[in-house]
Amino acid sequence: MEKLIRQYWWKALGVLILLYVFVVGMLVPLKPGITLVAPSSAKTGQELILEIEGYNTNFDKAEDTLRMWLKMDNERSLAAKSIDVIGPRNARVAFNIPDYLPSSQRVQDFALVIDNPIDGASVRPNAVLITQDSIDPDQGIQQWVNENMTGLHEKQGITFPFRNILGETIRNTYFHVSLWLAMMIIFIAAMVYSIKYLRRLDNRYDYWASALTSVGLLLGGLGLLTGAIWAEYTWGKFWSWDIKQFTTLIALLIYMAYFVLRSAFPDEAQRARISAVYNIFAFIALIPLIYVLPRLTDSLHPGNGGNPALGGEDLDNTMRMVFYPAVIGWTLVSSWIASLLYRTSQIEEYLWDKWDEDDNYEK
Amino acid sequence: MKATNWILTAFLVFFTLTTGAAQTGSTDFMRSMGKMYVVVAVIVAVFIGLVLFLVVLDRRLTKIENQINDHG
Repeated sequence: MEKLIRQYWWKALGVLILLYVFVVGMLVPLKPGITLVAPSSAKTGQELILEIEGYNTNFDKAEDTLRMWLKMDNERSLAAKSIDVIGPRNARVAFNIPDYLPSSQRVQDFALVIDNPIDGASVRPNAVLITQDSIDPDQGIQQWVNENMTGLHEKQGITFPFRNILGETIRNTYFHVSLWLAMMIIFIAAMVYSIKYLRRLDNRYDYWASALTSVGLLLGGLGLLTGAIWAEYTWGKFWSWDIKQFTTLIALLIYMAYFVLRSAFPDEAQRARISAVYNIFAFIALIPLIYVLPRLTDSLHPGNGGNPALGGEDLDNTMRMVFYPAVIGWTLVSSWIASLLYRTSQIEEYLWDKWDEDDNYEK
Repeated sequence: MKATNWILTAFLVFFTLTTGAAQTGSTDFMRSMGKMYVVVAVIVAVFIGLVLFLVVLDRRLTKIENQINDHG
């Protein structure tokens, strides 16, 4: 370790990985998506005209091959009657809604599906709510002119998923979520050094634990801050006392108390021993606060309230190619910062010991 | 100390600007281009955080240097 902290290869590696994350994470385009469908509600027995706004779409280039459907469920979908392309991102589409729907619900939600060879297929769930005046599923089945969606296209090239509400902010996965994972790795390392200290009672381990913990706190603080900015534009509020916001804040406060505790002991050995024990307890508290409690109740965060975390459309394979390097990159750079703190405290200790000896000699 | 104050001020200004924009309804900028500027704001926040940390380390080293000078 003493040799490693003077070597540059892993620091350069961390910086290069982060550079890759910044470039690829910012430059890869999003998959085409649908940002607006208006009106969002309609009645049966009408011709429904929808204004559509796409994102990263090429409606004008694909005008002749553009297809749209209103999808009720996996078996039933309604093809568009006519499509007017207004621009690359705008189109007007007409549907003939029958008098009765093949559904026993008064209000039925429909997803809008758009497909063309250039953009591939994109879906907007719950795009239109259609209200039936009277319910008659049998009539509905007879009247329904079903058109199965066949031959859907796949967007060519490397893209990140398009998610409603998120839009481009899905890129924050590399600058917010990865910080938390890096923080976790750094806190684990800090706990390992605390255990090592308790086994060997070597001051260097205590300095490592302290340096790593302060860098972990930096990552956690930045995680909270970036999360708040992201939340303002997706959830509508910087801080909404979401269960995960709340529990991570508590976890970080517990870690902050570690430094308060350290400053309370003037005696080095006592400080090192008590803070090592406290650090282990802080880590034990961190796991339920971050990974267990938020999953027990509903949360605005994905991966909580029973949802699988980091899966499906939130983190596809293309994103994994940036996300995992981001975690490694942040961890390496954080370790670099921690090593600087460690070396500074080594110098401080050396100088203070030396000066103490000098003072004693003079006496 | 001065540097920390400057950075804190800059950070607070940045924060009030973004919140102020949210309140006056001129969020069009932050929400334009598929909310791309939210990503920019997040990266700026991370950068400011790292710089703040550098300032703290800088001050700690200055303290050591001063003590070395005192001890001749």
